[in-house]
Amino acid sequence: MLGLPLSFMAPMVLAALAALPAIWLLLRVTPPQPRRIDFPPLKILADLLPKQETPARTPPWLLILRLLMATLLILAAAGPVWNPGAAGGTGPLLLFVDNGVPAAHDWRERAAYAEERVAAAVRDGRPVALVASADKPVAIAASAPGAALERLRAMKPQPWLVDRSAHLDTLRAFLAATPEAEIVWIADRTAGIGDQGFSAALASAAGARTVSVIAAPRSGALALAGADNAPAQLSVRIVRAEPNGRDAGTLRAVDLKGLPLADTAFTFPSGATETQAAFALPMEVRNAIARIDILGEASAGAVALFDERGKRRRVGLVSGASADQAQPLLAPTYYIARALGPYSDVREAPGGVADAISTLLDQQISVLVLADVGTLDRDTLAKVTGFVEKGGLLLRFAGTRMAGGSDDLVPVRLRRGGRNLGGTLSWDAPRTFAPFGRESPFYGLGLPADLGIRRQILAEPDGELSRRTWAALEDGTPIVTADKRGNGLLVLVHVTADAAWSNLPLTGLFVDMLRRTVALSGTQEAAASSGEAARDVPTVAPTRILDGFGAFSPPTADARAVPRTYAERARQEHPPGFYGPPDSAIAVNALVAGDRLAPLDLGPLGGTVHPLAKAETVDIRGALLTAAILLLLLDTLASLWLGGHLGRARIGRRPAAAAALAIAAIGLLACGTGGALAQDKAGAKPFDAALVTKLAYMVTGDGAVDQISRAGLTGLSQALASRTAMEPGDPVGIDLARDELVFFPIIYVPIVAGRPPLPEAAIRKLDSFMKNGGTVIFDTRDAMSARPGGQPTPEGQALRRMLATLDIPELEPVSRDHVLTKTFYLLDAFVGRYATGQTWVEALPPAAEGERRPARAGDGVSPLIITANDLAAAWAVDRAGEPMFPTVGPDLRQREMAIRGGVNIVMYTLTGNYKADQVHVPALLDRLGQ
Amino acid sequence: MARTEVLARDSRQPGRAEAGAALTLAARMPRLVLEARRVAASLAHGIHGRRRAGPGETFWQFRPFVAGESASRVDWRRSARDDRLYVREREWESPHSLWFWLDRSASMAFRSDLANAPKNERAFVIGLALADTLVEGGERIGLLGLASPSASRRIVERLAETLVAHDGDLDEDLPPAIGIPRQDEAILIGDFLSQPDDIAGRIAAIAARGARGHLLMVVDPVEESFPFEGQAVLHDLEAGLRLRIGDAGSWREAYRERMAAHRAALHAIARRHGWTLTLHHTDRPASEAALRLLTLIAAGRREGA
Repeated sequence: MLGLPLSFMAPMVLAALAALPAIWLLLRVTPPQPRRIDFPPLKILADLLPKQETPARTPPWLLILRLLMATLLILAAAGPVWNPGAAGGTGPLLLFVDNGVPAAHDWRERAAYAEERVAAAVRDGRPVALVASADKPVAIAASAPGAALERLRAMKPQPWLVDRSAHLDTLRAFLAATPEAEIVWIADRTAGIGDQGFSAALASAAGARTVSVIAAPRSGALALAGADNAPAQLSVRIVRAEPNGRDAGTLRAVDLKGLPLADTAFTFPSGATETQAAFALPMEVRNAIARIDILGEASAGAVALFDERGKRRRVGLVSGASADQAQPLLAPTYYIARALGPYSDVREAPGGVADAISTLLDQQISVLVLADVGTLDRDTLAKVTGFVEKGGLLLRFAGTRMAGGSDDLVPVRLRRGGRNLGGTLSWDAPRTFAPFGRESPFYGLGLPADLGIRRQILAEPDGELSRRTWAALEDGTPIVTADKRGNGLLVLVHVTADAAWSNLPLTGLFVDMLRRTVALSGTQEAAASSGEAARDVPTVAPTRILDGFGAFSPPTADARAVPRTYAERARQEHPPGFYGPPDSAIAVNALVAGDRLAPLDLGPLGGTVHPLAKAETVDIRGALLTAAILLLLLDTLASLWLGGHLGRARIGRRPAAAAALAIAAIGLLACGTGGALAQDKAGAKPFDAALVTKLAYMVTGDGAVDQISRAGLTGLSQALASRTAMEPGDPVGIDLARDELVFFPIIYVPIVAGRPPLPEAAIRKLDSFMKNGGTVIFDTRDAMSARPGGQPTPEGQALRRMLATLDIPELEPVSRDHVLTKTFYLLDAFVGRYATGQTWVEALPPAAEGERRPARAGDGVSPLIITANDLAAAWAVDRAGEPMFPTVGPDLRQREMAIRGGVNIVMYTLTGNYKADQVHVPALLDRLGQ
Repeated sequence: MARTEVLARDSRQPGRAEAGAALTLAARMPRLVLEARRVAASLAHGIHGRRRAGPGETFWQFRPFVAGESASRVDWRRSARDDRLYVREREWESPHSLWFWLDRSASMAFRSDLANAPKNERAFVIGLALADTLVEGGERIGLLGLASPSASRRIVERLAETLVAHDGDLDEDLPPAIGIPRQDEAILIGDFLSQPDDIAGRIAAIAARGARGHLLMVVDPVEESFPFEGQAVLHDLEAGLRLRIGDAGSWREAYRERMAAHRAALHAIARRHGWTLTLHHTDRPASEAALRLLTLIAAGRREGA
């Protein structure tokens, strides 16, 4: 239209624009509602006719506003579309979308393009048939474009390679049924499984119709196809369909929890379609790798998952010796565990030999190590035999018990007793190993020079003996023998696993030999399983599968269980992911070793390939309607103002301001009301508390008690200021959960029954306060109601509940010689409003025998003082400085004594055990004087 | 443009606020001057002796008992001096009374944002303040058609109570047609937004026996200047009249002329009966009008005396 990329869905509506002059006339003579004026003198003016009867015209700006609004509405009703895109035919649209593994690379673009095509079909009212190449082929039917749009939005790339040829039959059927259909194939340019002939077949099915292929210029997808956990490194194969300019990248290995373990870079040689990248990592780190990703490639194909099959073996250790945990270096299993620990999962089990073996076998170990186990009982023997015959590896070490006789789970027949070399009664020197034979699994290992075998178990000479010998001494006597038993392997080391018979366990050779031996267990198992593949292999259900973008997700409904031996690439019924329980899951990958990606052959279709570029169609109906509504809003405001109604809000004299205010308010509402400002009103409190020493009390929430606490500490502060060198500031009420406690030397905690228990955070804070040197006075204030030996009072119960989760030291009543009684005044007891309650502090260490010290103190300050005497009520003074509460007791000086007790407690918390030393000053001075 | 406001019906009765404001205003009135003039005009405070015997407080003369008179009229103390019987006669005293009428119709409950107070509030304040000041000066104050004259010290409260108690004439726009004695004075406070003929009729009835009076016309500034523009609908508050004006601005001149004619008619009515007409705008202080009314009352007394 007029050279602009603008088209209308309903151009006929534009004819309504012709009615605008009529609207103008109509609006012109219909002014806004007149304002109402209450006017008392009207009564005498009733005869006075207004001279000008014609009503005022609508103001021109309002007229323009309304005409603009009408124009916008008409335009919006005409359905304008900016960049309307390719105008198609009228027949159904067949949209064939590739959504296999390689499609995830640029799925966003292809989904946007497909959506645009379907949206165009919605506007044109064309039915749409949507076919996803990775889905199961079903009969194709053209549906309403709206429904197709919904389906398209739900469509996702799938994590398996597509087989397009499976769709050929349904495509042919649809094309035959609807000859006028337009075919659009949004392709990913990567060949699927055996569908190289698909293009030709589609061309023939399309016949005279052209197939528009929409695709990126080159296939951009990268994928991981196979990984090899070689002894030295983990090498990964990266493939692509064709050289696409993405010649370098990074691989990231993560463990099962998703934590990154290592990154490695890869580069494609120019023109190559596959390359290798290696993770040169220690074995234990490589074993932890659960998945490898190509960074920046969100696709299931760019993920390689690893399962237990390529990982460390689980080794069970059992020792026949009585375990003495106090001397681990002497335990026969110590060296084995240390040698195998970095490479395998070494497990030991408590209990006797039989219990330990059965426990370990239940843990699905692949290697069982028996160190100096002579004879197994019958049940255990049967279990171990079964384990070996199913493919397990049994590694035995000799020892004194085995020398005394063994069962038949040994590779060779053994002589009773043993052979001592280089002993006191022997002429021989300790022997070393002969070089390993070529058929031995240990071939190639170097022999340490200082290796010495002092004692061994001898095998009966046998024709099979040399074949079963993996290692021998210089004189030819076997030192490691092995034999197959069923699918498994028996290995016997003819020396002990500790350093008693030889120094073999102390050498590096021992580690290498064990690693090679244990590595054999996997091959044995694999051999066994391949032999058993035809038989009943347990299947495992999917636990976590990858979606098309390579992210883990819960298994979909159509994901089926796979056999434990499954080693093929993922299919629709077996999507890639982990199958089975987490500790023994097997991994299924989108691509397996040997897979390669091939470019898709689009030659037979003949037509040119259109780039995957959006036309950026914009439906500007919404914008027009929004503008019209905003104008309507303005018009309403203007009408209100002209009618004098805005004046009620006292802003009537500034209509522009009113309108701006209203619009701003609407804008604010649209922006949401977030951004509440955080308030930090408690910010200044810690500084105040830190500037001057203050006494603190816990705010209980009971107003009367808190007031007494405050008044009491005020009274005590006054007493301290007048009697001692300490001049505390005003006491502070603190909320244990919220306030910082470190500034206060002492916290007075009155116990109130019936209050909700302190939150856990507050208890922990109180605990750390006491641990770090603070003192807490717990005052149950129940000396009047408590009965010695009677039921605990409610306050006492509340205190017990509070202390139950605190780490409380042993307590004792304040003794006569406790330093607390001597820090400022010499006191006998700590009275408060009541005098009968006992005061408890942390128990002191017992006095040294015979020592007579006038005062005792522990190493620190007692973290808590528990009293029932209601100290605060005795200290409490009102504004005039008069005591607030009478004391209960016969002693007239009780209040004075209570204040003295408070002074002593504060001095105690501030000076610690200093006074315990000060009381010796006269004696020291005496001694100095002499 | 000025905004106008119509008050609720409740506010058309004097309340505590108006009574308080009236007392405050009365306290500021120059009562001593008024009193001095009053003393010059009459012997006692507000009591105007008639120089002949009649009902009154003051002794006038003893006259001989005439047969046929009631025996109770005999002044026995005087008669005991000799053998004749005397009757004690008092001077006939008749005090001046001032009769107030306060317009409480709906048109009074009106204010614009140019005014300081609603019209009816201003009327109450001025009326009650005058009443208080006049009672202080010894006058007797009555409410036309509502209450007989009284010289109570709590005249403000009494008048306000009376007004509140009688809400039957809340919609009455004109003073009641009740004639008052010749010596009395009438003080009518209202907006007098009625047809001049009706007003003339009522005033003629009140002044039928020759009594004099004062009209106080309370006007809102908006009623004076008509500061409106554009299209408007005028609403009358009492008769429910509506007038639609296409352009209020062009209507202003006609309105002012009409209003001036109305005032001229009112002046003519007042002059005809020897009354005074005072104009009070609610954007002016109330004391202004009160002072002027006091001055007019005092001046009238001087003439009469």
